[in-house]
Amino acid sequence: MDVLILCAKTTVACLLIVAGGAKLSDPASFASTVRLFIPFRVAWPLLSAIAVGVSLGELAVGLASLTLPAITVVNALVFAVACAFVAVSAVGYAFHRGRSCRCFGALSQRKFDAPGLLRSVVTAGIAAVALAHVGAPALQLDATARVLLLAAAGLLAVAAFTAARARGTGSEPEPEVVAQ
Amino acid sequence: MLLAGSFVVVALVFCLVTILALFGVTHVSMSGAEAIERDGLAPGIPAPAWSLADSAGNVVCSPPRTPLQLIMFTDHSLKAFPSVVDGLREVMAQERLEIVVLTRRRNELAEPVLRSIGLDGISVLTGSPSLYAAYNVRVMPFAIFVDSAGRVRASSLVNHAWQVTKLLQLADLPLEQQSLPPRGLFRRRAATAGA
Repeated sequence: MDVLILCAKTTVACLLIVAGGAKLSDPASFASTVRLFIPFRVAWPLLSAIAVGVSLGELAVGLASLTLPAITVVNALVFAVACAFVAVSAVGYAFHRGRSCRCFGALSQRKFDAPGLLRSVVTAGIAAVALAHVGAPALQLDATARVLLLAAAGLLAVAAFTAARARGTGSEPEPEVVAQ
Repeated sequence: MLLAGSFVVVALVFCLVTILALFGVTHVSMSGAEAIERDGLAPGIPAPAWSLADSAGNVVCSPPRTPLQLIMFTDHSLKAFPSVVDGLREVMAQERLEIVVLTRRRNELAEPVLRSIGLDGISVLTGSPSLYAAYNVRVMPFAIFVDSAGRVRASSLVNHAWQVTKLLQLADLPLEQQSLPPRGLFRRRAATAGA
């Protein structure tokens, strides 16, 4: 049972790191999704700042979850983030159905649709499994293990960033008028 | 302690598997004919409209005033493609065709280098990554032909003179006759050679 909980915890942590790293490769693109959820007019720099903030937040929570497994409050934080995904997916499904969610930046072409909503619910379910109690003392990592996990998580974030950047320019171009 | 060890192993395995999957995704997206096919815009669809000034202050527009406009997505690195330069020299004498070079970002080297390789008379315009994205261009040198109605007539990555001239021929064809989108000339050439 403990191994199952740890797998759930690791799955959601990896998912958050990949999502954060991929989004950071093209904040402008994710900012256009953020704009869908803000009912009033917001300046583009602020939207970009929110997009970067959300991406960094996901990355930070994922890194914390992976490297600080003994701190149970991080599990609750991860679950809260997963619930936020469900809320965003539900609102997106209700009001922006068919629009690209850019949940993984350019890595995927997922849209706000029923399967997307279902995926969010499943993610939240996995995060809920990770909430289950595992003795904190048994999960105390030494410094070497922590550094190793941090390095692996960093590598994962860089891989997601690079992969999203490689795929980025070619996906879903949005024509615009440019004047100089 | 055993549990902590298990966690480290599980986490490292998950990270490794995910990294390998990301490598796979990147490899697929960057290699092969499909990757080339994905760039550019299909014939007949509206091209992005823009208006940009060159260094002399002359304003260049797309859609063009001439019947055809060749937008070259490149910069000073075009010097490394002498065959493409030859191809451009071959087509630049045509009055019905306006050729412009659109750089991804401000590039002080582009204009003097293009002049030095004999591409005088071609406007060098400073574009932007978002404009490149609007044309779906990730690789250089890339050529897109746009007609005066603002529709894409042909687009492809170009590495040789014959590709430039072939693209011009394709751009001259009525859109209804372009049964296959002329994107990814490499692929079509390779298929012909294979046959």
